[in-house]
Amino acid sequence: MAIELDALLRQQMEPTGLYGQAEAEVVRTVCQSCHCGCGVLVHLREGRIIKIEGNPEHPLNEGIICPKGMTSWQVVYHPDRLKYPLKRAGARGENRWQRISWDEALDTIAEKLKDILKTDGPMAIAGTFGGKPTRIRNAMHSLINSLGSPNSGYSDASFCWGPYPVAEVNTYGGYTFTEMNADARNSNCIIVWGGNPTQSHPTYGRLISNARARGAKLVVVDPRFTAIASKADVWLQVRPGTDAALALGMLNVIINEGLYDKEFVDRWCLGFEELKERVQQYPVEKVAEITWVPAEDIVRVARMYASTRPATIYARVAVETHLDSTQGMRALACLVAVTGNIDVKGGNVFSVYPRGFYSFHGQRRKWWREKANGDAEQEQRLGAREFPLLCGPNSPIGSPHPTTMVRSVLTGKPYPIKAWFVANNLLLCLPNSSEVYQALKKVDFLVVWELFMTPTAQLADIILPAAHWLETNNIMDAYSNYIAARPRAIEPVGEAWDEMKIVFEILDRVGKEFCYFPARNADEYDDNRLKGLGMTFNDLKEMTVLSAPIPYKRYEQEGFQTPSGKVELYSGTFEKYGYDPLPHYVEPKPGPVSTPELARDYPLVLTTGAIRVSYMHSEGRAIPWLRELAPDPEIEIHPDTAAQLGIRQGDWVWIETPNVDGRIKQKARLTSGIDSRVVCCEAHWWFPEKPAPDYGHWEVNINKMLSGDPTPTETGTIVLRGLLCRIYKAEEN
Amino acid sequence: MTQRNLLIDSELCVGCQACEIACKQEHNLPVGPRWIRVVQVGPRPAGGRLVMSFHPTRCMNCGKPPCVDACPEGAITKRADGNVLINEALCTGCMACIEACPFDAPQFNQETNTVGMCTLCAHRTDYGLMPACSLACPTGAIQFGEINSLIEKKRAERAARTLSRI
Ligand code: SF4
Ligand code: SF4
Repeated sequence: MAIELDALLRQQMEPTGLYGQAEAEVVRTVCQSCHCGCGVLVHLREGRIIKIEGNPEHPLNEGIICPKGMTSWQVVYHPDRLKYPLKRAGARGENRWQRISWDEALDTIAEKLKDILKTDGPMAIAGTFGGKPTRIRNAMHSLINSLGSPNSGYSDASFCWGPYPVAEVNTYGGYTFTEMNADARNSNCIIVWGGNPTQSHPTYGRLISNARARGAKLVVVDPRFTAIASKADVWLQVRPGTDAALALGMLNVIINEGLYDKEFVDRWCLGFEELKERVQQYPVEKVAEITWVPAEDIVRVARMYASTRPATIYARVAVETHLDSTQGMRALACLVAVTGNIDVKGGNVFSVYPRGFYSFHGQRRKWWREKANGDAEQEQRLGAREFPLLCGPNSPIGSPHPTTMVRSVLTGKPYPIKAWFVANNLLLCLPNSSEVYQALKKVDFLVVWELFMTPTAQLADIILPAAHWLETNNIMDAYSNYIAARPRAIEPVGEAWDEMKIVFEILDRVGKEFCYFPARNADEYDDNRLKGLGMTFNDLKEMTVLSAPIPYKRYEQEGFQTPSGKVELYSGTFEKYGYDPLPHYVEPKPGPVSTPELARDYPLVLTTGAIRVSYMHSEGRAIPWLRELAPDPEIEIHPDTAAQLGIRQGDWVWIETPNVDGRIKQKARLTSGIDSRVVCCEAHWWFPEKPAPDYGHWEVNINKMLSGDPTPTETGTIVLRGLLCRIYKAEEN
Repeated sequence: MTQRNLLIDSELCVGCQACEIACKQEHNLPVGPRWIRVVQVGPRPAGGRLVMSFHPTRCMNCGKPPCVDACPEGAITKRADGNVLINEALCTGCMACIEACPFDAPQFNQETNTVGMCTLCAHRTDYGLMPACSLACPTGAIQFGEINSLIEKKRAERAARTLSRI
């Protein structure tokens, strides 16, 4: 990495001496460099950030923050930050730009939107975003919904934070598999299922470490021997893509051995007999054969989970990216339910908010429900016809289906998207990059909101510089039972803007009202979100957090938030929509079992998406201290496999898949922590230091090699884990 | 005089590298020198299963520090409290200490053309504050203090941990 860049950044940072004592000013706020929301203290001198440290009073992180949190100032002050609105001055992807004023940018956008509203209607306007360290989630939904379109959402909704909410909501009426809800702090047995928290959600990794130190049992389900797996009592090295079978095998043991919570099941669960019958199809020996996990380990973990109370399952994105992700997640939800671990302290607990406060998602859902014609409009959302539980009116997340959207741009079906607001590095973050590239090049009008120039932003008509979380007010509302003000620590650099300000300015110009509740500007927006609490944003700022007591077992008073008021092991809603009402397993396809001929050409099972502590999705590669920890994309290969292929540690290795033509390369990391039949690639790689407009992503980003075809399942998942590939040493080594 | 040092429990360390970044931040270090660096050992088979551990390596503040003897400028000293410190003003960047150290502790800094290494955050710990790495560690793997009592405490803690798992 460029040493000069690093020096430039650090000039802004003085050695801090006895920190915590002598600084002129400390701002208490909440980190958003990942989803966790650690409390931080931002130290300033003469208006500049000189250090970020953890806030010891914050209940989540108790003073500890991770490398991404600590280096957030390197993002803010980065010399490559986008500081002004830009207009394209050449062909798309030619990297020719003209600086324009905010007025010009907003007027251009407004004119375009007015045209589209007149000729094509609101549906032709869409907005997608990712996990950027800004308040884009609120901003993008607000803008698109206020313009009258339902086509706003996370750009990865069908394979991240999509399948599991759909599965859990349709089982017990709420979702609980995340950091905030899998209650490690109070648990005696934790199953980390398909996640790597000490790298991806470090603050949750800390809670698990603490639980472990006080004697809680720990099980890790992962094809890779991760750091957290190395600390576990049992590590189940599952074949990528077969987790649903593993969960069903555990259910088989728990039900047949009578280890489930009989009282809870009798009183609160529907469809136990049907589930019991279903799991007979998954005897342990068969499951061992499918998953490559030894039968005795499956039995041991099933018994451990069912007989240790309370126990929690922390299920992360891996299972959401399998062929039938939703059924896999349903199987996990059934495990939580039949063991009586739902909404109990130390189990899987529903979030609760201070009375009178709505989370952003809660507010939006309520608005859609109450809106005249709301259901009909949501039925128009892209993907709602094919994947109603994910994209239709009853979806817990109300997002369009990602690759359906890409294809609507390319084919005009079911209707064309004309204006697309993109607020992430979409090109790198969706499968089949070439297809995404075509769509981004083709769409009539592309506006990108960003912090940095990226391969995606390179294709925009207009780029809007967004303000970082250190530069905007916001309310963090994704905790278990509290909310916190996230006040800005500094003013935005250059002409970057609070994204809510962008929203209000565009709406004004188009002549539309902010839709969810009355508000005319960003400050009013923050204040009015707190109205039900009788508070303003400034009041909330005075507190570290505002918490609500966790009721636990709320179902005893209110029942479960399902149509029947019970836990639906047998899902009535799934049945109504024509899906299997009981969880099942589908063999990965293509795969060594389902397509053995293809597996002769592509002999290795491929799993993707591994991430290291430095990075959040595609972010962080330009941040000197983070990049130093993880300079290159790595593919994990077992030493035996590598030896057969003549690959040594550190060699560049080409990777090919049967899904898409072409190849990409990553650097070999030899490790016996992966099965010799499996390799694992890191995702979302690019090199911000390489030449525009591609920054080298076509060479190294594994998403290029994956198919964008939605699986014909409940949520139209895109398969990122449990694929096939072949690898060979790159010539230039 | 009482001897003070870091005590690192690699049984607790999860390799998250928060200590590395906290150290960079505290000492305003460029890309390159890593005064504390987490070394991964394994995974390797042992007793029928895989094991892996993480070892944050840094200056050990050796009893008889070879770097002190190696430095031709006499820039390195061991203080009475055990802390081995490099005097940057005397350092010419010849890297003899880097050669001499068995732990890869001294680190060359391209910007200043000198060698630096863990100072036990003397600018903090001399005034009763904890070192930056120890404050940043999510698992409590890094402790600082009088070394004999730290070791005593650690023995008790480990015994309790082992018992809680039986
Ligand atoms: S885990 Fe790290 S990035 Fe995430 S909120 Fe905490 S400090 Fe920020
Ligand atoms: S901060 Fe603690 S847990 Fe993380 S790598 Fe350093 S010593 Fe290990």
